[in-house]
Amino acid sequence: MINDYLKVAWRSLVRHKATSLINLGGLAVGMAVALLIGLWISAELSYNRGFAHYDRIAQVMEQRTSNGVVYTNDAVSFPMGDALRTNFGGDFTHVVMSSFPNDHILKIDDKVLSVHGRFMDKEAPQMLTLQMTAGSAKGLDDPHGILISASTARTLFGASNPIGQTLQIDNTLPVQVSGIYQDLPHNSDFSGLGFIAPWSLYITSESWIMRTAAQWDNNSFQLFVQLADPHSLEAVNRRISTIKQSHIDKEFQKYQFKEFLHPMSDWHLRSHWNDQGLQAGGQITYVWLFGIIGLFVLLLACINFTNLSTARAQSRGKEVGIRKVVGCRYHQLLGRFYCESLLLVSLAWAAAIVLAGLALPYFNRIAAQQIRFPWTSPLFWLVCAGFAGITSLLAGSYPAFYLSALRPLKMLKGGAMTGEYSSWSRKALVVAQFTISIVLVIGTLVVYRQIQYSRDRPIGYSRNGLILIDMKSPDFYGKYDLLRNRLMGEKAIADMAESSSPVTSLFHTNNGFSWPGKDPGLDGFFGTVWVTHDYGRTVGWTLRQGRDFSRAFAGDSSGVVLNEAALHIMRLKDPLGKEIRWNGKAYHVLGVVENMIMESPYDPVRPTLYFLDYDNVNWMVLKLNPAQGAATSLAKIKAAFHRYIPAAPFDYQFADEQFAAKFATESRIGMLAAVFAVLAIFISCLGLFGLVSFMVERRTREIGIRKVLGGSVFSLWRLLSEEFAALIIIALVVATPVSYYLMAHWLARYVYHTGMAWWLFAIAGCGILVIALLTVSVQSIGAARANPVNNLKSE
Amino acid sequence: MIDLKGISKWYPVGGVKTFVLNGIDLSVREGEFLSIMGPSGSGKSTLLNIIGLLDQPSEGYHYFMGEGIHLIKEKQRSALAKAHIGFVFQAYHLIDELTVYENIETPLLYHKVSASERKALVADMLDRFQIVGKKGLFPSQLSGGQQQLVGIARALITKPSLLLADEPTGNLNSKQGEQIMELFKTLNEEGVTIIQVTHSEKNAGYGSRIIHLLDGKIDKEEQGQA
Repeated sequence: MINDYLKVAWRSLVRHKATSLINLGGLAVGMAVALLIGLWISAELSYNRGFAHYDRIAQVMEQRTSNGVVYTNDAVSFPMGDALRTNFGGDFTHVVMSSFPNDHILKIDDKVLSVHGRFMDKEAPQMLTLQMTAGSAKGLDDPHGILISASTARTLFGASNPIGQTLQIDNTLPVQVSGIYQDLPHNSDFSGLGFIAPWSLYITSESWIMRTAAQWDNNSFQLFVQLADPHSLEAVNRRISTIKQSHIDKEFQKYQFKEFLHPMSDWHLRSHWNDQGLQAGGQITYVWLFGIIGLFVLLLACINFTNLSTARAQSRGKEVGIRKVVGCRYHQLLGRFYCESLLLVSLAWAAAIVLAGLALPYFNRIAAQQIRFPWTSPLFWLVCAGFAGITSLLAGSYPAFYLSALRPLKMLKGGAMTGEYSSWSRKALVVAQFTISIVLVIGTLVVYRQIQYSRDRPIGYSRNGLILIDMKSPDFYGKYDLLRNRLMGEKAIADMAESSSPVTSLFHTNNGFSWPGKDPGLDGFFGTVWVTHDYGRTVGWTLRQGRDFSRAFAGDSSGVVLNEAALHIMRLKDPLGKEIRWNGKAYHVLGVVENMIMESPYDPVRPTLYFLDYDNVNWMVLKLNPAQGAATSLAKIKAAFHRYIPAAPFDYQFADEQFAAKFATESRIGMLAAVFAVLAIFISCLGLFGLVSFMVERRTREIGIRKVLGGSVFSLWRLLSEEFAALIIIALVVATPVSYYLMAHWLARYVYHTGMAWWLFAIAGCGILVIALLTVSVQSIGAARANPVNNLKSE
Repeated sequence: MIDLKGISKWYPVGGVKTFVLNGIDLSVREGEFLSIMGPSGSGKSTLLNIIGLLDQPSEGYHYFMGEGIHLIKEKQRSALAKAHIGFVFQAYHLIDELTVYENIETPLLYHKVSASERKALVADMLDRFQIVGKKGLFPSQLSGGQQQLVGIARALITKPSLLLADEPTGNLNSKQGEQIMELFKTLNEEGVTIIQVTHSEKNAGYGSRIIHLLDGKIDKEEQGQA
């Protein structure tokens, strides 16, 4: 019996090639989209799961409250590690202090490489269950040991054995390779970690670090722990929450410091806290978002399938009638039609898998992931099969029940499918399809507008031709005038400066400032940047009041430049010359500059103070000569660096690329949304196309008659198209408030956001209406122009 | 075999009843060959559909094989039809996606016949109608006459005791039509009760009895040549 059903199903598919292809095509595309999104979601959810102690590892986070706003951060102070070990040793298997990950210079003989790495406590390899390929996991016990990743080993040592060989970190710290670990997986927060050096070495590497050993109020490190009992998170959180608060100086207690553990299982998906200090999602929001979009696109495809299957009822009715006359029972007919659905869905799945496989590299590029097809995973195939089964059940049910219930006599008489009911539900489904498509299109438009809006926000400096160089080792220091004079002389640069933060980040914030007229209750954290004299000219900031730092005034060494946000917070009327005290030192205001966006383009600019200092700097910033090509200038700069800082690799970043990277997430979202919107419209129009062809088929005689009676092509086209146009307009009416609500919700996450102009909806609506009408017209014009003689021939 | 008493069928059009059949009294014995004639709109096809249990009258008594059809449920009705009745349509109504062999086989699928038995029965039927060579062809590849033969073969495969034919030669030329009527004659001689609806006097004459319908009533009755 099943064989029979399959045979008939197959032949019936082949007979109606056009319809079958449309049906198959739409379904395959919808399924491919669902498949890709499913793979992406599973990749996102599997982040960090490669670590054996996944359910026990956590990072220590700190919250402080200032002026009613709660700030959450992962930076902790030096004494924190020991405090946890001493007071709560029983709760933790491992307590691991770590430096912030950074690019460091690794040098062996003549080979110099910039490698991303950390300095961590010696238990790190045990906590992370590093897979050692050579040497020992206890390699960090040796205070001059270093563990390197397999790829770092390959690059630095090639085929020779790295164990025991001596490296220099940042050209100052000699270490011996004591172990090689397998590269950490791409989908983990420790991916790309090229080396791990001992914490004990780190704290002696720079003098400032040991100075902070007893300072509870200097947060410059990271701290990871492994819980002894994976279920004890809540309890431990309660115990450790006041650890800093109880040790800090009285004057800082008003910040209500609170420590808590952020479990590894939340690192990737839930890393966002609102300004009440509550966990407010993060990447998980996008996982949900795309999961829902994927389901909707699949729904669209299934709606198509259902619609097209029922629309063909007329031509199927005959077969149903015949079978019923020769004795077929209701449930046997159901079986027949479910079989056909299953066949079509299975074919569509096969096509979908091929499509998804082909699209995967492009998808990976857009989503910045490295998803692989799990060909060998039986779970994958099981889920696929289950999905196919469910889809064919859902999509095939309605047509199966509908067709099986047809009365045989009516069918055999060739009765027209007058069922208004059937046509109603089809119309409702079309409206649903286009509503979803319109919402997606509007969503995409809003995302792009938001990105554009933020990009157009005045940035406060000139980011073209600005390059940033990290001063990774002592070799970079003390070369300021040398490099600057030489490069300006060679006309490679327009100017050059050094600063404590690159212009695309703000590393340091501090409090404890006082100024005349300061409200004693107010205690602000200000961004602090130390710069050289030429900084302002190099980055091109705009002075609103007063003047820039100048070598002509020796007193400028205690000068400070405010940005407008700082001025606003401080409420200084005539700021120039006023005194600001900090840490017992007095500074006088030299000038006020327009706000520079150094952090997120979506957030208000932090109040920031700029001080003059040639020692406390970490980044060089160079303005390329605009009159010359960038390549030429860079070549000269590279040559100069090789001359004066030969011991370090020449690594630089373009400020505008770094800035553009801030939009990376939103751009990605926008691009994915755009792709899905286009696909949704494609699927919906496919469905529309199929429906129109059936409508035309059904009304062939009517069209012929009208033509004979004198109807023009235009009036016929209008007749055939208007019911679909009405459906699209209804979809637009429904979609507008829905998408408005959704997008308003999304935009509210950004402090700086664009509005939603009415013409946005109008454009989306008109665009889709035009596309849909074109789809309909392809068929309806053809029908309207056909020779009535052909239409009116009786069978 | 069949007893119809006071059978009427109407359709409400507006508020008025439009009668298609109006008080039909008819008895058909086993082994009879009955022809039903009449102009268009006289209700011939409707009468045939009622006899074939495909349709229900609006009022009246209907007995088939001793069962009161007006008394039993839908399920039993279709079971009865399945077991005893074969239908031949004017428009052949073959399933286009099935071959000749499969079309003929179709009723057997719903009669719980084993695969090997099915094979044997269909082979016999193909032989009898001399269309063995055509068993793998699709309906679209056959001529009208051949398609009708297949339709009749399908109607006969379950060995029905009653064969109903609605204008079986309507779409055929005279030679093909003659062939079909000769076939019916032979079948009737073998004991199959046949009721046919026809326009043609010549074809009607093959029957043992001819009734004429006019405006939903039996106008006159006459004897045929059989």
